[in-house]
Amino acid sequence: MKGSRKGNVNRLQAACVTGIIVLTLAACSGKTDVGGNLVLKDENPEKVINLFGPMEKSRPNVSNIARTAFDLTIEMAEKELGLTVCYRTYTAENYQEKTYDEVSIDRVRNNMDDLYLLNPDTIQVLGSEDRLLDLSVLDSAKNLRDVVKTANTVNGKLVAIPQEVVVNGLFVNKDMFDQYNLELPNTPEEFMECCRVFKENGIETPIGANRWWLENFVFAQAYAELYNGGDTKALIEALNKGEAKYSDYMRPGFEFLKELIDKEYIDAETAYTYETIEGEGPDFLAQKTPIVMAYWGAANSETAYGNPDFNLQVIGFPSKLGHMPVVSMTGYGVCAGAEHSDDTLAVLDIILSDEALQLYAETNKVISPSKNVEVECIDALKPLNDRINENIYVLGSNAGMNVEQWGNTCVIVRELLSGATVDECMAAFDKLQEEALAQALEGKGN
Amino acid sequence: MKNTSISVSGAEFTMKRNPKGNKKGSLFVSIIFVFCILAAVVFSVARRTSAEMSSSAINNLSDSLDLVKGSIEAILIKEAEFQELIAQEITVSKDPYEFIRFYNNSQTISKVSLILKGESEGISSTGEVFSEDSLDFSTGKKVGNLPLTQSYLNEMGTWAYTMKCPVMKDDKEIAALYIEYTFDSLETTFPNNLYNGYAMLYIMDSKSERLVLKPTGMGERDAGHLNLADFYRANNIMEDSIQTMVDEAIQATDNIMFYHDIRNKNSLIYMWSVNDGTFYLIGYVPVEAIQQEGRSVNQSIFTVVLVMLIAFFLCCILYYLSWKQQEATRKEQEAEREIHNKQLAEALHAAQIASNSKTTFLSNMSHDIRTPMNAILGFTTLLAKDADNPAKVREYTKKITSSGQHLLSLINDVLDVSKIESGKMVLTVGEFTLNDLVSSVDAIIRPMAKEKGQTFNVTVMDINHEYLIGDETRINQILINLLSNSVKYTPANGNIWFRIIGQKQHSAQYEHIRIEVEDDGYGMTPEFLETIFDAFTRAENSTTNKVQGAGLGMAITKNIVELMGGTIDVFSEVNKGSLFRVDLELRIPSEQADREFWKDSKITRILAVDNNAEVCKSIRMLMKDTGISVDTALSGQEALRRLTEAGDKETCYQAVLLDIRMPDMDGVETARSLRQVIPDTIPILFLTSYDGDDACAEASSMENVGFLPKPFFVSTFKEALLNLHMDQNHDIMEAESEEDNVLNGLHFLVAEDNEVNAEILSELLDIEGATCEIAENGQLVLERFERAVEGEFAAILMDVQMPVMNGHEASLKIRQLDRPDAKSIPIIAMTANAFAEDVKDALNAGMNAHVAKPIDMDILKKTIRQYVSEKPFTKKGEQNEREQEGKR
Repeated sequence: MKGSRKGNVNRLQAACVTGIIVLTLAACSGKTDVGGNLVLKDENPEKVINLFGPMEKSRPNVSNIARTAFDLTIEMAEKELGLTVCYRTYTAENYQEKTYDEVSIDRVRNNMDDLYLLNPDTIQVLGSEDRLLDLSVLDSAKNLRDVVKTANTVNGKLVAIPQEVVVNGLFVNKDMFDQYNLELPNTPEEFMECCRVFKENGIETPIGANRWWLENFVFAQAYAELYNGGDTKALIEALNKGEAKYSDYMRPGFEFLKELIDKEYIDAETAYTYETIEGEGPDFLAQKTPIVMAYWGAANSETAYGNPDFNLQVIGFPSKLGHMPVVSMTGYGVCAGAEHSDDTLAVLDIILSDEALQLYAETNKVISPSKNVEVECIDALKPLNDRINENIYVLGSNAGMNVEQWGNTCVIVRELLSGATVDECMAAFDKLQEEALAQALEGKGN
Repeated sequence: MKNTSISVSGAEFTMKRNPKGNKKGSLFVSIIFVFCILAAVVFSVARRTSAEMSSSAINNLSDSLDLVKGSIEAILIKEAEFQELIAQEITVSKDPYEFIRFYNNSQTISKVSLILKGESEGISSTGEVFSEDSLDFSTGKKVGNLPLTQSYLNEMGTWAYTMKCPVMKDDKEIAALYIEYTFDSLETTFPNNLYNGYAMLYIMDSKSERLVLKPTGMGERDAGHLNLADFYRANNIMEDSIQTMVDEAIQATDNIMFYHDIRNKNSLIYMWSVNDGTFYLIGYVPVEAIQQEGRSVNQSIFTVVLVMLIAFFLCCILYYLSWKQQEATRKEQEAEREIHNKQLAEALHAAQIASNSKTTFLSNMSHDIRTPMNAILGFTTLLAKDADNPAKVREYTKKITSSGQHLLSLINDVLDVSKIESGKMVLTVGEFTLNDLVSSVDAIIRPMAKEKGQTFNVTVMDINHEYLIGDETRINQILINLLSNSVKYTPANGNIWFRIIGQKQHSAQYEHIRIEVEDDGYGMTPEFLETIFDAFTRAENSTTNKVQGAGLGMAITKNIVELMGGTIDVFSEVNKGSLFRVDLELRIPSEQADREFWKDSKITRILAVDNNAEVCKSIRMLMKDTGISVDTALSGQEALRRLTEAGDKETCYQAVLLDIRMPDMDGVETARSLRQVIPDTIPILFLTSYDGDDACAEASSMENVGFLPKPFFVSTFKEALLNLHMDQNHDIMEAESEEDNVLNGLHFLVAEDNEVNAEILSELLDIEGATCEIAENGQLVLERFERAVEGEFAAILMDVQMPVMNGHEASLKIRQLDRPDAKSIPIIAMTANAFAEDVKDALNAGMNAHVAKPIDMDILKKTIRQYVSEKPFTKKGEQNEREQEGKR
């Protein structure tokens, strides 16, 4: 027994000494490559895709869930294709600087980048200039909902595809509505009444607005019946032929906005200069403003209105047919003169695949453009989601209309903010319609 | 004083213990100290290395930034020089506007414009009308001599700057050349993957503080920065002091670098002035990214230290294990040594005790031997003096015999001890009955007790088998030793109890008996009890010092008991008495012969009458194996009633056992009454006590009665029945009387070298009517036997230790002689060599039997009767015969 123990200790000692010797020898080994070329060469030069997109301003230690979702899909593409997607961005420092849309149009026109995230009006402008590739060739395009295809088809080409169907709505502080015993508004009258009550109760500006998104009020009232009542196609056809006037549709919305401005429910001066969320967001989150407008994803993002300290509810904009979601399509388009167009299309095919869109939709809790992807939304978005599920919404942009809606209406609303009358604004629409009709005639003539 | 002394001894104790503890403690402190020094050295080296590497890393970073800065400035200068060359070309061109119109834009140059001197508008290479109004030269910055605009977003949607160059002809400015350069072209100056991509680098326009170049390959978070304020906000650099410091540095066009946490990582933020502060290279890098080398070195140091520590601790563990092993071995050796020392001490002590004991023993023996020797020699002297007085002679010889016997018992004890100590004690196992055992013990002890006026009580109970197998002699010796001690150490009128109690059997083949010897004598002290079984000890006090003995009896007893596989215990209290308890397990014989006897006796049923129920029970138990059924009655009346009630009174019982002493109706009276019912042919056997009974005489007058001493034994019962049967056979009686004269007329050849012994033997034989011829050694015996006529000697009585030829050799040679009686003549060894092996050696040498000296004539006669069948004529007999023949 004793002998055995002694033997074990000796064996252990021998093993340790052997181990140390081996480790020492291993540590001392190593050969210096004396004759070789010491310069490291990149044997596989990296393929790069340049993506130009708008970016919300960075906040320290806060993650933007929308970016995360997008990044996850980009990562899928990078892994699968073995390339890198590089980000380029531009954000106007103030309203006097070029807008993102202007810069993106310039960049597309000068073939500066490969892939662009474009707003609806930009899509229509660039699409009509044939500066964007037709994406209907992508496999992923076959899964798209019809509304998505309709909104992004210009001259018979599917020029852009979104990763989410952007639904704009009114973000309301339900606690403040409850505080003043107010029901959430459905119609313009109810909305006006709510604003009156808030104003009377010391809320200086019941509606927080920026220079981009007030047009949603106009679209909701203008096209509620067009998209949810009569023969949409025929009504649009009448507009395109000049048999009906855009200004007639737009007027109630502008008058409504004018009244809001006049009654100082909206601060026109600040709204004219505010960028999205950055301007009106802090007051809303601080519960100084009970109403703002934003897109669906803002309710999920910490950089926007995710995790507020109050009961957030998202509803549609007021209209005769009840509160009305406004659907707009920011989409990804590929520059026709892109240096890496094939790789870019491949990237796009992956990030728009059902798998990627499922991941995106689950992460962002948004409505997917693919008819194959369905996810549940957060509680705050349920009123808006219910309306979408009922198929009640209006489009903020429609490539089938010969007058671009999203960008032009935004510009004309800004004029209203800067003091133009409703009639002046309607005249601007009439002018646009006339130019479109003239262009159409010119096209036919050619 | 006492307290002081305790305190001092306590201190001494502490002093004795502390050095070991202090040694360990100081060793521990030393190791810790060495490790602290090592840790401090390693820490300082690591820190110094880290600091140096950090400084070096910062220098490297600065160098990298200087390099980028230099590259950008070089590009700017080259652009300026290029623009001056273009201006010169325009000078010589016929149509400057045409020159501009056909100029192809490149990746670096996005637009070339020209305004002729004196005009407010000119033309661009893009074909548009160009005006200087859209450009801001208010910064006053220049590249070389060319003024530079503030950065702006050009028509391509990218950040750009424009340099203005005068077009000189004949020293006159004829136009102004404007070339727009994009910042994108400067991206080539940025190192790829600066610090593995951990370092961020932007170009900031100093005046607008806009980030005009964000290189590709950035993550979206970093790509999203808009301007310096956004950079601050995004990286949480909100301290006014820092922002002021940066503002001042930018104002002074100085470089600046500072530490700040970015996303919870300590980082270096740098702002590097380019082209005299026109632009700034700004960005950040986590400190850990630039100190990778330092970290690697520190990690290596740490790894080496860790490995060394592990190796050290491994060595410590191995040393500890080795030390522990050695310690264990040392402790084992120490323990072994202690055990050895203890054993040695014990052995020494034992040897001393033994020596003392033996000294005492020798002293005692000297005394004990001298006492009877004194008596023998004294009485021998008296015998010589009073030889004419037969009464005195008889008295003296009786006392000499007594002293001699005492002397012999002393010698026997010494011999037993000698055998025990040498391991030569051998048990002679044979069948015996408890009856014989009890009888013989009783026969010896009862007279001794009676002599001292003590009461001796014998009890046998719960015994299942009285026939047992064992060494009867040694068991007898045990009992005699114990009982004689009790007699010795019990004063007059004391009581001695001797009990044999049957215990629960552990095995069907073994009878478990307990022997108890109890007395109410002097008792023993606890100290003596501890040594009672040691040899050469003897209880001595004022009362018992008159008692004689070698002090060997108890040692012998214990050894014999243990040799038999039994146990002996003693309980004693001074002046109250002692109890010795011996437990033995003795094998039960098959008892076949006994069963046959009872079968032949035609006894199937007996009646036992005793007022003691225990006795009745004992009888029933003992008779169980005989196959005889036993009815019991507790009184004479009951016995009579049983017989009266029995159907066939004459044959229902073949024997009656009757306690001679019973209350109310005693045994004799009961016997008389029974005789009226049962015929005389049915024996009545009285159970009597050992010390005899007056009633026995009265009972013996009755017909067909016998006596059994209590306690009841089957063998006694059997013997009593046989005796009754033999009463009518007088031949047997005659044979017995003849046995007494077994030696009469025999002639022996005796080998004895000792003249005295030879004379004694000769005389003793003569007393018995026998004669002998003495030879002094084996050789003479052999020669004498060779010469003897056949049948001349009845037997040869052979001493063993003799000169010339010993007894064994002589016997062997006698057996080898070529004569008819050489094989048959009985040779009986008569020697003082009395051990079992001596007996065995004698038999092996061809002798027939062994008789130990001193000669016990009864034993000798018994032995001779066994081997000598015919009576050869003695010389004396022969002479008588011849005389008678002559007379005839």
